[in-house]
Amino acid sequence: MLNNTGPVAKLYLSIIDDVIESMKELFLDEGLEDRILDDLRHLWESKMMQSKAMEDFRKNNINSSNFVLQLPANYSQSDQEITASAVIPTSQKTHSFPMKNNSETVATFSLPAGLAYPVQIPAGVTLQTASGQLYKVNVPMVVTHTPAGQQPLSQTTPKVTEWTEAPAAQPAAAQTNTVPTQEVEPSALSSTSVSQPLQPDTALSTNQETSPPQQPPVPTVEPPHPQGAHSLEQEVTLEENHPSLQPVNLSIPPSPCTQSLDFQISAKTKDIDDILKEVIEEEREKAKRARSLAPGSADSQSETVLGLDLDYNYSELSDIVQLDGPPDGSDIEDEDGVPLEENDFLGIINAEAIKALQEGDGSSDGNSISSSSDSDGIEDKLANAEEEDPLNSGDDVIEQDIPDLFDTDNVIVCQYDKIHRSKNRWKFHLKDGVMCYGGRDYVFSKAVGEAEW
Amino acid sequence: MAYQLYRNTTLGNSLQESLDELIQTQQITPQLALQVLLQFDKAINTALANRVRNRVNFRGSLNTYRFCDNVWTFVLNDVEFREVTDLVKVDKVKIVACDGKNSGSNAAE
Repeated sequence: MLNNTGPVAKLYLSIIDDVIESMKELFLDEGLEDRILDDLRHLWESKMMQSKAMEDFRKNNINSSNFVLQLPANYSQSDQEITASAVIPTSQKTHSFPMKNNSETVATFSLPAGLAYPVQIPAGVTLQTASGQLYKVNVPMVVTHTPAGQQPLSQTTPKVTEWTEAPAAQPAAAQTNTVPTQEVEPSALSSTSVSQPLQPDTALSTNQETSPPQQPPVPTVEPPHPQGAHSLEQEVTLEENHPSLQPVNLSIPPSPCTQSLDFQISAKTKDIDDILKEVIEEEREKAKRARSLAPGSADSQSETVLGLDLDYNYSELSDIVQLDGPPDGSDIEDEDGVPLEENDFLGIINAEAIKALQEGDGSSDGNSISSSSDSDGIEDKLANAEEEDPLNSGDDVIEQDIPDLFDTDNVIVCQYDKIHRSKNRWKFHLKDGVMCYGGRDYVFSKAVGEAEW
Repeated sequence: MAYQLYRNTTLGNSLQESLDELIQTQQITPQLALQVLLQFDKAINTALANRVRNRVNFRGSLNTYRFCDNVWTFVLNDVEFREVTDLVKVDKVKIVACDGKNSGSNAAE
């Protein structure tokens, strides 16, 4: 049942044993049957198996892998071919390896560590099992590494393991694509597949290496495969990275002279920053126009001056972008329908807002509203607001990251001995930790690390 | 009282899921499930302290740090974990660490 015997798997199994053992009495005390405890154990173990967390990540490096050679049923074991050991040339190196014999029709051979896949086994090679059985293979073979069923041992990635699960699924696709009719794939237990006629390996290995561009078709080949899910996840994230096609509503943040207006644009090709810049430039142009039109009217009353300016600005500002809140489709229509009332109302509001602002800013004149510099003051406020936007717009980015930042699948749960910081250099002394990364689990008794903040 | 820290591991989560299934089918009581989890806490703390003997080094860049209730939480980016034999690169990892000193029932190594 348990084929993974890496150290992590052993540890976990021992923990499971401990827990189940210590619960036996308690379960009995509760009057529960042993069956229930067994159920718990089976559920627990099967979940652990499925999660492939118990795989030793060293298995990624093909430390010891088995491949099963399916022998014909009528294979006679009386054949005697005397060969001391099998020599298989692999990238200019020779390996001799012991074999294990499992059954009469299925022979299991384990290849030594560090073997680079795919392995070409030429014709006429005699393989000797540990029990002394000799098998002569009369056809050339290519041993490749593919995932199969519940035992995804298959990571053909080299010692530097990066999080691209696709290579594992690749060989499956590559195999089925390039070696369609001549494969020998033993059904149940194989983690590698043997193709009898000698096939050019370059196609397979290049397929394995160029994994990223070929991810999308892979999941369809082996849909129940766990790594397919990873490829799918990668697909999804790729899609999400494309710019959003939804309409974006932008508006200028509240400023004394502007109203929030609706402006829907497609963000298909533009960043929000670009949109902001465009909007701000528009505003500036309008402000300039308003300035040039508004006379230096010292005599007129504040409200009317403002009203005049604001009338002009308001109509000019009708196509200003709304940066917050949902689009409000009826605004433009209302504005056209009842221009006078709304503008007057807005004029009053803006006057008060401007007053508050100008007092807050500590303007020189208490009655500056009625002065000739008033219109300039308003325009200055506008300009200031515009200039502040690009400065402040960067502040919001960090806020959004925080909830997502802590949401990750790669978690280390441990205890700390000592955490040290010197300026922005951090040093970690950790112990007794379990790390879950890419679905796999790793454990450590001590971990020492450094990071810069 | 051993740390309940390790319940959020693959092992701990699969145990909790299994217990939930048994509770759903009313084969065990929630109280009993809690006992199982407490026993699990003891077992995994002991196992990690006594049965694991490997050392890992890592290096990366620190994105965030948090220290609250004597628990450190870090988020690191672009980290390389180096064991004697192997190297694992991770683009983002979260570290949750409880105080390892005088943690109570942990056996001395």
